[in-house]
Amino acid sequence: MILRLLSAALAAGFLAAVVTTGLELTLTSPLIIAAEAYETQGTQRAAQASPAGLPIVPAHDVHARVVQARIVQVHAGHDHGAPSAAPAWQPGEGLPRMAFTGLATLVGAVGYALLLGAVMLACGRTPTPETGLAFAVAGFASVALAPGLGLPPELPGSAAAPLAARQAWWVMTAAPTGMGLYLIGVRRSLIAILGGLVLIVVPHVAGAPQPPAETSELPAALAAQFAARSLAVSFVFWALIGLGLGWAWQGFSARGREAARA
Amino acid sequence: MTSQSITTPALAPVAVRSSERLIAAALAAFLGLGLVFMAGFSPASALHNAAHDFRHTQNFPCH
Repeated sequence: MILRLLSAALAAGFLAAVVTTGLELTLTSPLIIAAEAYETQGTQRAAQASPAGLPIVPAHDVHARVVQARIVQVHAGHDHGAPSAAPAWQPGEGLPRMAFTGLATLVGAVGYALLLGAVMLACGRTPTPETGLAFAVAGFASVALAPGLGLPPELPGSAAAPLAARQAWWVMTAAPTGMGLYLIGVRRSLIAILGGLVLIVVPHVAGAPQPPAETSELPAALAAQFAARSLAVSFVFWALIGLGLGWAWQGFSARGREAARA
Repeated sequence: MTSQSITTPALAPVAVRSSERLIAAALAAFLGLGLVFMAGFSPASALHNAAHDFRHTQNFPCH
């Protein structure tokens, strides 16, 4: 059973990663690279503006200055052309960067496929393409759609709240949404459905950490296009993980049984 | 009668399978969380830079 699950998750992750990497490289990476040009401009201007790295903003109130400083701080340690940042390793532009995007997609896809398989087995569902797809749609809703409602997929250079707060909200949204969908879809009693709805809604009532103010120089059209493409790519990614897990689980059945006996 | 003789021997394998199922699920969940953390959340800057475009596209908080 363990070997069958691991091999099915590897196969599903590989399938999803191959297709998704292609989509990422054609649909979203060009937008990220275009956005980095704006981010680099902003960071360089900020660095030139004052030797301490704090920008002198043409605004008259202190608040705007604090906001600007925080944005620079958020990007400190990040290497998008910040001249004073320590030279952290990063993949070279072009082919190496694409290769590492593909590698990261593979790691993430196998990870999500393992989680999907674990959830399905724990719920007592045998993975088939149909059940795999259904659970994958719930996975997409939990980790892409629900966190995206509060924290829309963002390009480099957009104004954002501190990273730790956003990561915490992301986890605190994805986990209850998944649990809520489980209560609604698998448990299905009236109390479970009500509890599930509460779990799904509460993170949004609490609210995502908001960016300090709209100070980004990114064109809104670019950001909107990226958000839409990112969700579409995520959906394909999840759908393929679910379908792939179902296909592979069925395909590995004979071999899995032999391995379990050995 | 016949139904009893069919269900009784079936009970033991089902119990074994369900515990095996849970062990497999726990192991896969542990591995999966580790991989997703590495690709999506790890603060190490080399991992962040390598996974940068993936993180942005899959809506992991980045930067």
